[in-house]
Amino acid sequence: MTERDSSILSVAGATKRFGSVEVLKNVSLAIRRGEIHAICGENGAGKSTLVKILAGIYSADGGTVVVDGEVREIRNPQQAQALGIALVAQELSLAPALSVFDNIWLGNRTVPLFHRRDDLRERARRALGQVGLGDLPLDTQVVRLGIGQRQLVEIARMLTREAQVLILDEPTATLSDAEIERIFAALRALKKEGKAIVYITHRLGEVFEICDCVTVLRNGELVGTRRTAEVDRIGLMEMMLGRTLGEMYPERGVHRGEPLMRVRGLQVPGAVGQFDLIAESGSIICLAGQIGSGATEVLRALAGLLANATGAVEVAGRRVTLRSVPRSRAARMQFISEDRAGEGIFLDLRVDENLVATRLAEHTRLGLVQRRRLRETARRLAAAVGIDTARMRSRARELSGGNQQKLAFGRSIGRAAPGIMLMNEPTRGVDVGARAEIYRIMREFCAHGHALVMASSDLEEVLGMADVIVTMYRGRQVGRYVRGHAGMRQVLADITHPAA
Amino acid sequence: MRSIKPDRIRSRVGKGAGVCVFAHPAILSSGMLLGGSIRRRLALGVRLVCLAGLAAWALLTPGFMTPLSIFSLLTTVSLIGCVAVGMTFITLTGNIMSLALGATLSAAAMVFLASLSLGTGTAFLLALLFGTVITGLQGAIVGWFRANPLLVSIAALGLIIGAAEVLTGGTRVYPATRGFAAFKGRIAGIPVEVLVFFATVILGQLIVSWTRIGRAMQMTGSNPRAAEVAGIKVPHIVTVAYLLAGAFACVSGVLLAARYGSGDMELGSGYDYGAIAAVLVGGTAIQGGAGSVLRTLVGATVIAAVQVCLLLRGFSDQLQYFITGLIVLGVVMLHTLGERA
Repeated sequence: MTERDSSILSVAGATKRFGSVEVLKNVSLAIRRGEIHAICGENGAGKSTLVKILAGIYSADGGTVVVDGEVREIRNPQQAQALGIALVAQELSLAPALSVFDNIWLGNRTVPLFHRRDDLRERARRALGQVGLGDLPLDTQVVRLGIGQRQLVEIARMLTREAQVLILDEPTATLSDAEIERIFAALRALKKEGKAIVYITHRLGEVFEICDCVTVLRNGELVGTRRTAEVDRIGLMEMMLGRTLGEMYPERGVHRGEPLMRVRGLQVPGAVGQFDLIAESGSIICLAGQIGSGATEVLRALAGLLANATGAVEVAGRRVTLRSVPRSRAARMQFISEDRAGEGIFLDLRVDENLVATRLAEHTRLGLVQRRRLRETARRLAAAVGIDTARMRSRARELSGGNQQKLAFGRSIGRAAPGIMLMNEPTRGVDVGARAEIYRIMREFCAHGHALVMASSDLEEVLGMADVIVTMYRGRQVGRYVRGHAGMRQVLADITHPAA
Repeated sequence: MRSIKPDRIRSRVGKGAGVCVFAHPAILSSGMLLGGSIRRRLALGVRLVCLAGLAAWALLTPGFMTPLSIFSLLTTVSLIGCVAVGMTFITLTGNIMSLALGATLSAAAMVFLASLSLGTGTAFLLALLFGTVITGLQGAIVGWFRANPLLVSIAALGLIIGAAEVLTGGTRVYPATRGFAAFKGRIAGIPVEVLVFFATVILGQLIVSWTRIGRAMQMTGSNPRAAEVAGIKVPHIVTVAYLLAGAFACVSGVLLAARYGSGDMELGSGYDYGAIAAVLVGGTAIQGGAGSVLRTLVGATVIAAVQVCLLLRGFSDQLQYFITGLIVLGVVMLHTLGERA
């Protein structure tokens, strides 16, 4: 028993900087054999950075790593492999065109140039057996496997590399229930064999289902490590959030108006099933859900960006046909993407050009754009969202994340007729200081009779901003709560593991 | 004094430059006007010094400041320029360039000459329509099928040359009437080509910076996904850009047809290369999103001026290819210098 209790891998005082930003501050933790150790934290808490240091992908700026009682330096992935540490990343690294067998041995440093194929096949089969894929033919092309099976093949590959510590970064994020069960079964079997498993997840339900202990990180700092038997969901949630709600968030509107948008039977194959929604003018509706919940797809479908979305949508009594961005915009639905660089704004265009990008039609006379009026409009919008008007001629690329988000917001406001703002992850990539300001302009927008529907996986934000919370899990609504009628506990329960 | 044949000049401009265009996907310092970093200013400085140097060199070239060489310079600029203005639209929307414009304008010239019996105006419109439709179709394929623009233009090049071969049997096309006189000669002492080109530049610049469609082209070129999210019908915009490119290129085709009085598929060869060199030297971003017709005008002028000076100084053909190649390469490298900041 003594051997099982000793830690196989421990980290003390790990620190990592990117430029001037310290993303990991003095974090320590110990992983023991035969244990599944969860690492939890919000986006940007430092989870991925920590495991990438362990796997040799990043090198730490400070701290020590002890493997099997010896202080080690892990400079690159090869060294990590030699020390028995293996990372199964979110983006799998299998070659789809090759067979399962080839993939298992691909990149393995121990395979000699001249090897006994039979021996390798036997070892591969054994590794697959360990993860519950004993009956999978070795010559199957990986492209034929489901995501869950690929995940398991990836784990088997790590086992052939004699991995003692397996690190899994959100392995279940894209899996179905049945596939998740297979992964869990495999992990339990590996745990019994004495492997140590580090398990990063957003889903708190999984922490309590298969993990023995949990380490919580927040803003790059260690909050603490607890045994899962000694902590409950609320306690864990409080550890993750760590600060009180309020102040950050503006006062809410006094009253809710008439329904402005009605959505019935919205469907997006593979993402959203039979979704209904009512948005009243003046209110902020939050779709709360994690990755894969379908909240993002609801917004994208309403914005006209999904070619396979169907459903009945009415804005101010007028029917809107989905699947076309111009039609959605004509119905006064404006989408603000969380992916600003990719599709949200034009990074290489100037600030003023960005601000008027969607309103050229209103500034055209006799076929020519009225450049002076455009400049005036851009100034007005910049002032409304708090962008320094001295920066009107800067490239959008030169602005901070917060200012870019204000830019995206600015180009969508300023219309008198009540409209719907569709915001996905409104504060992704926005630092804490600018968040409060974004929240304020969001609320101000609604005070003018508009409605705002936002999707967020940040629960604190959801509870702080929402007039109505709609919880989502795997493409469906779980619950709908008017402000004050649901707390963190309920929302979290809904979006992680809803009552069957 | 030796007389200078514009057609000789332009074929050289084209071929020398064409090779270099592929050498590097040039990136332009879109913020070359004001602000930006030191590197950008440095790049701008180098540009201005080069331009000043070129101007001084041209003025010192014996015979440069004579009406004959000035007009031949302007005519050369004009013939390439019309194509280059069209090419600017394609580049601006992020579709790099078309290699089929030269063939398109040759074919349009033949359409013009063959239909002159219907009247000059009708023939002109038919030629324009021909080029617009053919190039517009390529735009539609690029826009809706998201096909690679270079490959589409290569395919179109083959189709146009092949179809022309079948229809004409490889012979030259001679007009039934001399109804093309309106497109050659001089008005108030200025060559018609030059007047037409100035009109083209003004119209082109008007479209780029004063119309919604021009703005939409810049947004599409800057980031097509963001343009789509902003409610721009990207395939439509790309198609319109190609329509315009075809129309502008065919203007050049008609001018050439009138100039030589007969036409074949060789007429416009090299024009697409000359045009893309002008776009690049002018400083329109090859990745799209930033640029203008006026820049293209500057680019076409620079290249034509160098050609004319080299001719006047009696350099051999081979050296002119070489120099044009060097210019484009230098410009391309300058672009990355300005952008890497």
